[in-house]
Amino acid sequence: MQSIGAEAGKMNGQQMDALLRRFERPLLQYATRILGDSDRARDVVQETFVKLQNEKREQIDSGPAKWLFTVCRNGALNICRKEKRMTYLDQELLETRASEEPAPFETLEQKEASGFLLKILGTLPPRQQEVLQLKFQNDLSYQEISEITQLSVSNVGVMIHNALKTLRQRYGRASRDFLPFTPRTVS
Amino acid sequence: MKVNLDDPNLTAFALGELSPDDHAEMAKAIADSPEAQNYVAETQQFARLLRVEYEADRQQPADTIVKKPQRFSDAARIEAERRSSSRYQWGSLAAAFAIFAVLGALAISTIKREVGRGVTDYAKPGGPKENPPATVEAVPEPTVEMEVAQQPVGPATTAAPPVVSEFREEKQSASKDMAAAGKTRNFALNPSAPKPMPMMRSYASNGAGMTETTEFEPPSRYRQDFNTATYDKVEENPFLPAAANPLSTFSIDVDTASYANVRRFINSGSLPPKDAVRVEEMINYFTYDYKEPEGDKPFSIDLDATSCPWEPSHRLLRIGLKGREVANEKRPASNLVFLLDVSGSMMPSERLPLVKQAMRLLVDKLTESDRVAIVIYAGGSGLALKSTPGNEKEKILRALEELQAGGSTNGAEGIELAYKVAADNFIKGGVNRVILATDGDFNIGVTNQGDLIRLIETKAKTGVFLSVLGVGTDNLKDSTMQKLADKGNGNYAYLDSVEEARKVLVHQINGTLMTIAKDVKIQVEFNPARVASYRLIGYEKRLLRKEDFNNDKVDAGEIGAGHTVTALYEVVPAGAGTTDPAASVPPVDPLKYQSPSAPATTAKSEANGSPEMVTVKLRHKKPDGDVSELTERSFTDNGSKFENAAPDLKFAAAVAEFGMLLRDSQFKGKGTFGAVIEWAQEGKGRDAAGYRAGFIEMAHKAQSLKPREG
Repeated sequence: MQSIGAEAGKMNGQQMDALLRRFERPLLQYATRILGDSDRARDVVQETFVKLQNEKREQIDSGPAKWLFTVCRNGALNICRKEKRMTYLDQELLETRASEEPAPFETLEQKEASGFLLKILGTLPPRQQEVLQLKFQNDLSYQEISEITQLSVSNVGVMIHNALKTLRQRYGRASRDFLPFTPRTVS
Repeated sequence: MKVNLDDPNLTAFALGELSPDDHAEMAKAIADSPEAQNYVAETQQFARLLRVEYEADRQQPADTIVKKPQRFSDAARIEAERRSSSRYQWGSLAAAFAIFAVLGALAISTIKREVGRGVTDYAKPGGPKENPPATVEAVPEPTVEMEVAQQPVGPATTAAPPVVSEFREEKQSASKDMAAAGKTRNFALNPSAPKPMPMMRSYASNGAGMTETTEFEPPSRYRQDFNTATYDKVEENPFLPAAANPLSTFSIDVDTASYANVRRFINSGSLPPKDAVRVEEMINYFTYDYKEPEGDKPFSIDLDATSCPWEPSHRLLRIGLKGREVANEKRPASNLVFLLDVSGSMMPSERLPLVKQAMRLLVDKLTESDRVAIVIYAGGSGLALKSTPGNEKEKILRALEELQAGGSTNGAEGIELAYKVAADNFIKGGVNRVILATDGDFNIGVTNQGDLIRLIETKAKTGVFLSVLGVGTDNLKDSTMQKLADKGNGNYAYLDSVEEARKVLVHQINGTLMTIAKDVKIQVEFNPARVASYRLIGYEKRLLRKEDFNNDKVDAGEIGAGHTVTALYEVVPAGAGTTDPAASVPPVDPLKYQSPSAPATTAKSEANGSPEMVTVKLRHKKPDGDVSELTERSFTDNGSKFENAAPDLKFAAAVAEFGMLLRDSQFKGKGTFGAVIEWAQEGKGRDAAGYRAGFIEMAHKAQSLKPREG
């Protein structure tokens, strides 16, 4: 493997690869949600990793996830501002208004049915999706999520609480219908 | 101390997010609240589940992101509301269409290739094959990029090249810029990294349509009405006076599709459209504990009555049939032809991928004496797998795996081919069945529904029966599929989840596959001395004329091994008088030429004084027979109260009332969702498979969706 981290205090190729593997897809999803456009999201994520490469180790070691999501989020919001597009910051609109997905089954297309829960997830307001992704996909604490999203810690707590409540309601039955099969025979 | 379950701190506590002090305090607070402890445990369990799902999702190939159109549309919709003239909205919608179009076109070519290969390869066993994969695992799901590379000729690529190259140039210059700005190559293009930014290529190819959408028209249904689900209007059976209409005749029905469909609506947070609720299919979703058939009878008849819980002055009569159980190993050899819709509309994960999963479950249950073939249909139709013994699972699974959705639908042609394959491999005395899986959109070619139904009807006479598995939502042609199954001597189930697939194809495989009696008709004669009027709950689409009962040419429903069939009548007892305005029957003018005491009734005047409430007559044919047999049972109502009713009857009543509430039926009486839950709980019984618990949960959800109700 080619090493690019020759300079002292920077990431080496192996570490970069590990982070790329771990966070590429989560970051893409994250940026896509903000931008509403996966093509631009890809550019933002790429840029984020470029910045990561030039970042000093000590900035990252404490928490690469927090660093990556903060940089990625700012990059995405910059594009929003620059292009005067729908602003993700328009919190009121996004938080109160349930995502308009008519039914979870209408949406995510490619995976097998095991992604049932993720489909329901797609019906939550985007802001709630965002905090859930940060919390449960990327294991960030309320505090870290608060720093990334510029929301107060208690606000994060309320959003996660509400999001989980809704999710559990909608998920409800999903796994109840299934119990192991025991063939019945004629006595 | 009472803990507020809606306190965000409780969630924070469950997730270990409280400071040590707060944590200790909360732990103390919930110490004597089992409710709160339960909430915490459930939250933690759910959090684990979420983590697992996210992790599974993260490990998906990254290129799948491109196919998530809801992000496009989400943003586009919000923006459209804010800005009336939005170029971006059109851009993204066009992009979404274009992706559909390109993927669809690619998939068509894939299918063509598969079909061709399927026929040539499998026609010559052990014949030459470019690349025979050793195991299923060794075959990678063809990704979009691969398809582009392998398919230089095809509708997508022939039209696209100029745009593609233009787009690629842009991308290349963009990445050059980036490379200049930083050392991107090492990770962006590092071949050792697993799937390093593989979207680059797929974006380029998919992006082709972004700038040019006119080249490929997406299938018309994507551009028109986005929700084309159709449900036939259900006009509920009215109360009929027993004196003028002593006979009630209908065909049995073992379909369950409506229940799963209703559940899908409720789980996604909305009440179903009225006409999607077919009460008899809801009741028949559940298996009831009726007595086993005696001797070599194919089924038993089990009659019961109780006071009607939503209208206590009325009686509720229950007719239960139970088909003979057949042990798994005693199921005769099965000749199955999967007829799979692979048209573009089947692409979403809850359609073709779910169908594939369902088929895998079924294949797993088959043995060497069984045979499986796969016929696919889209723009054309073809044999994807010739009839193959059930123990060659790998071969079957591989053929299933390779199917991809794309193209438009020609259901009729596929059906013809499927029946031909089934006939060619007919197993005498065995199970011969075509299993059609589709969202039911037959929109090209011979789509005259009448022709299609006649075709199915003719084929059913040859001994090949039909099962219909419905999937999908916006396109669901519920009524078409119900009719097809009905005419094809078959059953119709709606798959909303892999759990439902498991119920239909694994738990109840024998009932689904093995018909033990066909053309089962029920005729109930009400005794006017005991019954003022009656109403059959549900079965609106299954009503027969009284003359049809003894006419063996008239088709009716089938009963499978182990199936139970349940029908409920709401009965107004003679002389009781009713308080329910819905049950008051408008009087019919007296006849001019006949007196009410016509000879026909006086002849039976002796029986008229009988304490019996009803006589239930049943006709059925053997699965391969043409002549029906008659069975008869009489029933005397002992006036028992609902509180003392058998659990099964309580539960069936709960489901019936639930259906009527969802339909906002004029016959719903005094029932509420709250009452439904109570009756269902009383009637839950053993509920080994947990289906009834699922119903109760759904009723709770429906109740919360309709807050004005108790």
